[in-house]
Amino acid sequence: MISYFIGVVAILASGILALVPALKVLFTGETIVKTFDFNPLFGPVNFVIDPLAAFFILVIAVMSIASVIYAKGYLKPYLEKGKNLRAHMVFLTGLIVSMILVVTCQNALMFLICWEIMSLSSFFLVIFESEKKEVLRAGIKYLVFMHISVLFIIMAFALCAIKAGSFDFASFSAVLKNNVHLANIVFVLAFIGFGTKAGFVPLHNWLPDAHPAAPSHVSAIMSGVMIKTGIYGILRMLSLIGTPSKLIAYGVLVISVISALYGVLYAITQHDLKRLLAYHSIENIGIIGIGVGAGMLGLAYHNPVVAMLGFAGGILHILNHSIFKELLFLSAGSVYTKTHTRNIEILGGLIKSMPATAILFLIGSVAICGLPPFNGFISEFLVYFGMFKGLSINSFFAFTVMIFAIAGLALVGTMAILCFTKAFSIIFLGMPRSEAAENVKNDTGMSMILPMSFLAALTLAIGLFPQYVFKMLTKPVSVLTNSGFQAAGGEPLTIMQTISFVGLAFVAFVCVLILLKVLFGRKIVLHETWGCGYDRGNNHIQYTASSYASPFLSMLKPLFKKVFDVEKPKKLFPKSAHFSLHIEDIEEAYVLNPLLKFDEWFLSKFEKIQNGNLQTYIKYGLLFLVLIIAGCMLV
Amino acid sequence: MLMKILNLIILLVVPFLMIGIIRKTKAFWGGRKGASVFQPLYDFVKLMKKDFVISKTTSVVFRIAPVIAISTVLFAALFVPMASGSALINIPAGLIVFAYILGLGKFFSLISAMDTGSSFEGMGASREACFTSIVEPAFFIVIASIMAMSGNYTFDSLSQILSSAGSYGVLITIFAVLALFLMILIEGCRVPVDDPATHLELTMIHEVMILDNSASDLALISWGAAMKMLLISSLIANILIPDDASALISVALYLLIILAISVIIGTVESAMARIRMSHVFKYIFIMSSFALVVLSLVVARMFGG
Repeated sequence: MISYFIGVVAILASGILALVPALKVLFTGETIVKTFDFNPLFGPVNFVIDPLAAFFILVIAVMSIASVIYAKGYLKPYLEKGKNLRAHMVFLTGLIVSMILVVTCQNALMFLICWEIMSLSSFFLVIFESEKKEVLRAGIKYLVFMHISVLFIIMAFALCAIKAGSFDFASFSAVLKNNVHLANIVFVLAFIGFGTKAGFVPLHNWLPDAHPAAPSHVSAIMSGVMIKTGIYGILRMLSLIGTPSKLIAYGVLVISVISALYGVLYAITQHDLKRLLAYHSIENIGIIGIGVGAGMLGLAYHNPVVAMLGFAGGILHILNHSIFKELLFLSAGSVYTKTHTRNIEILGGLIKSMPATAILFLIGSVAICGLPPFNGFISEFLVYFGMFKGLSINSFFAFTVMIFAIAGLALVGTMAILCFTKAFSIIFLGMPRSEAAENVKNDTGMSMILPMSFLAALTLAIGLFPQYVFKMLTKPVSVLTNSGFQAAGGEPLTIMQTISFVGLAFVAFVCVLILLKVLFGRKIVLHETWGCGYDRGNNHIQYTASSYASPFLSMLKPLFKKVFDVEKPKKLFPKSAHFSLHIEDIEEAYVLNPLLKFDEWFLSKFEKIQNGNLQTYIKYGLLFLVLIIAGCMLV
Repeated sequence: MLMKILNLIILLVVPFLMIGIIRKTKAFWGGRKGASVFQPLYDFVKLMKKDFVISKTTSVVFRIAPVIAISTVLFAALFVPMASGSALINIPAGLIVFAYILGLGKFFSLISAMDTGSSFEGMGASREACFTSIVEPAFFIVIASIMAMSGNYTFDSLSQILSSAGSYGVLITIFAVLALFLMILIEGCRVPVDDPATHLELTMIHEVMILDNSASDLALISWGAAMKMLLISSLIANILIPDDASALISVALYLLIILAISVIIGTVESAMARIRMSHVFKYIFIMSSFALVVLSLVVARMFGG
């Protein structure tokens, strides 16, 4: 327990200490610059808190504090089993501090070091339950993906550093702004690198494995905050480049729409709760990307209104997604602590035994679907509005891409509704489908409920008072758009005020109606659910998650690979039978796995080199030495 | 002000009449006399006075869902232009607020159906969620295209399309109206997508979702569903009513169009059989293709030579 408290104190301290300057920057708009001299290794390194960095610090600090308080209740069963938490708390602190460093550091070398600390500490957090084989597997997959990603980031930085002759971001900017081709190449490399961290399709594959493997408070930080550092990287590169080329802007927009659709489609197929949430992270990264892409198109076509609205929507969605996704992951963790399963097919009826968690999960679900009066709606509205404005860019391509992006976003929204009505109702409503769900007697403790309630209150607060948040957004957005924000900000602000007014009126109206119903409602007679003439329906005839999603999925059959595990009943008195359906990621099945197989085959050709014979190894050493000496002499 | 009060009255009363007229039309084609067009209103009043019968399985979600369902439709109505031409809250991108507020209502009606633990209601919810997800993008394409053409992103742009875009305007109007009419049939759960009159649970969508609702809950849900039909019909009416018509004429035209739509729905219901459930998708995709036609016409008009 003592290690937990030391960790919590460290995290709270770093979170709060970082929040103070960040809030100051967000309110005043003045950038804080601190230079530290790391001679002779790096020379002077600038740590800068500009409004963009300050915004990310805000997200990181608030979310980390909430989930670390939650961790107390979540880790308790592990502590009772005698698990040592020292390493876990060290890496948790390391992850949070390194994330704050990543968003403030303005020197490429130092950035990469912080980035690597972040990736490694999150790796160790993922393999918390390393005694489980699938956890270790997911962790290693994550590690491999992160190192492919960092490779691309290094390439991007190296290209800039060669041209600029320095590792400072400011010097990169000077080079990139004058060289369009270099800027394009660097942006593509950086997008691949940072996009892998963020989880853009087709580089998302680590995400649905790593999130379920990690403990819930870690998944919450990873999904809520850490993948956003990928977005931060992309935005920072964008701020260095200034005006992106049109082709790149279209690319970002199209990839984002595909990511959003892909993520939500696979989320619908999942019945592992945390995997489902992980796929939703891909969807939401896609939505953020749509905003950013629309903003980039605005920049590329010199349309400040579109740029401002797109970036504002994208950046706000970063905050919003981290709030509701963290809320959802934490409530998923509470369900897991009580039922010890992540398989939603065997849950049900939990709203009776865990009412607080159920209501919190419901709030998170409504918010993530982008429905008013919660926060998801505000950011999606800004993204939509930006794209509507984008329709008037007088270009055929801009028009068609935007209108399909609008339709895509609408489709994503309705699919998200399908997915979360499924998740919520299968977990919390109806009757329990198994003993695991039936045996839950009480809700989780206050230390878990409180941070979640705080997050839920935030979703509602942002949804009901968007005008204040929108005003706060002006500063981070102006880092990306440079100017033109104030001029374009008037109309959206009045719309935000209208939305706020309508939202408040709506909440009041619903409350009044509920009050009327409670006070003047007619007598209630309790009865069994209408079974259409049949009596005694049991728990197993309820609709399941698979059957709920089935009509929709049957329409999109070619987009995923179904793996059936069937044992049919045999003979007159069948002893056993089972049926289970597992849906595999199409990318994993048709791209990654063949690639890995090829890799394995190719590398097995080199097995002979390593024959375990000492003499052979000495021979290799000698050969190598000779080659090096020869090489040196030649040079 | 007068117009706004008139709009409110239309919003609250006309949904009942629409359902009444549809039923009357069906009775006419069926050779029956049929109930009075005010029957849905009588039903509503009667249901409000009844006691609740509620399943033991249900939770608080089931209790509040009908309230949210009716509130969302009422608030969505604020953003839709009705008889007077302009919406009460006429903001740019009002389409999104409109669609997403209705989405909130749908969310709650889906989970309320799942709350009963009945497999029939689960079936209905599952179908409803699925069909909506195909309808919504098509709806967005239709409205967004029309809005883009006028460069004015409020619902006001609907009424400008017929008069401003020449012969393209006529074509766009035709296809937009067709798409929206199909949307009424789908969202309003009418034949051939769904049959509001059937008692065979396996083939129903919306009706099966509310099997367990009773008394004022049922009354509010039915009222809300009818109101939603009226809202989409109002969009059609606004496309068809000329921009420069005087207030009196536009109110008369509006009521006439709503009447016509109700009669047509009744006629379609009498003339067509319900489509097999697995084929409903194909039917809904007709709406998507109309939406794409609207889009391509708009593109042709904006960027074509």
